[in-house]
Amino acid sequence: MTLTHEQRAELIECLLDMGQILLENGAEISRVEDTLLRTGKAYGARHVDVFVITSIIILSIEFDDLDALTETRRIYSSTGTFFHKIERVNSLSRSLSRELIPLSELRASLNDISCMNKNDSVIIIGGVIAAGSFTLFFGGSLDDSVAASVFAVFVTALQNYLGRTEINTTALNLLVSLIIGLCVGVLCKVCTFIHMDKILIGDIMLLIPGLAMTNAVRNILVGNTISGIIRLIESFIWALALAGGFMTAMLVTDIIFS
Amino acid sequence: MSEIILQLITAFTGSLGFALVFGMRASHLFYASFGGFISWAVYLAVYSASHNEFFACLVASIAAMLYAEFMARVRKCPATLFIIIAIIPLVPGSSLYYAMSNAVLGDIEAAAFYADQTLKWVLAIAGGISFVTAVHELRLRR
Repeated sequence: MTLTHEQRAELIECLLDMGQILLENGAEISRVEDTLLRTGKAYGARHVDVFVITSIIILSIEFDDLDALTETRRIYSSTGTFFHKIERVNSLSRSLSRELIPLSELRASLNDISCMNKNDSVIIIGGVIAAGSFTLFFGGSLDDSVAASVFAVFVTALQNYLGRTEINTTALNLLVSLIIGLCVGVLCKVCTFIHMDKILIGDIMLLIPGLAMTNAVRNILVGNTISGIIRLIESFIWALALAGGFMTAMLVTDIIFS
Repeated sequence: MSEIILQLITAFTGSLGFALVFGMRASHLFYASFGGFISWAVYLAVYSASHNEFFACLVASIAAMLYAEFMARVRKCPATLFIIIAIIPLVPGSSLYYAMSNAVLGDIEAAAFYADQTLKWVLAIAGGISFVTAVHELRLRR
């Protein structure tokens, strides 16, 4: 299939959108590169060069008549996680290698995917289950688990709400940990039979960049060193922000109750 | 024994919670959460035999990745989605928390101990996953 110049421009736009959806929703770097490469070739590109790091996609496609197009797409937030979107983009790109669809249809399905929204109540229920479970998992009592679940409603709701604003992840972690630290600190001073550390661990599992750290090291080990290092340093800074929020909360509760 | 059962159950439900937060499709939820159960079961079994946390975590993440690759084929969906949920019980949330809180409280020795532990776990998980990925890529270039 030979594309006109306008169609080629539309194709590269679609590819960048595809990459953006993947990158913004938690796909690994190699998957983003692989998907763009495969899809570009499926639409008849002779050569596809793609370079992806957590904050940018650089894509260059070349056709048989030596006509080449290069575009970049800056990605401002690659910290989200929405698996259903990744799955849909992935199956879309796989279906393209079997059977090509017209670019207008590709554009329509991509728009459809990027319009998907998570169900707020499902996120909150998930957060409650996760926090309650991990408090028990790390040796907390049943009381601790109930307290952690209650606070998890605030953590997920706050995370969800602030995530829609312009706030960056570092500031978000600082703010959420400060608020949750204050609430849990006050509660633990009033109800002395519950354990502050176990409750906080349960709730922090929702915020802690343990998963980001693991994925960062994984990126480094499979050869995407730059992205891995960027994410590793970011996750250290997020952990520091969490610690900063809790430190302030602890100091404030100590002053109030002394 | 009851503690082990509790841990296995909460590893499953904790993974389920994260699968919900991460917007996993409803029909994959059970299989994804079961990965969390498997990784923690393997961790406990290897740990009780070897008494080495790093090794147990490495084997558990290899098992989790094998499960994720298997499920990816059965459920026709990228393995990443399954592996991220499966390793959640292994993610060193508690030692990262104790590292932070000890640093804040000024106990640098304890903070260094937990920070060291956190990094070892992170390395073991990432190493296990990458090992399976590397073996998987041991096919000739086309």
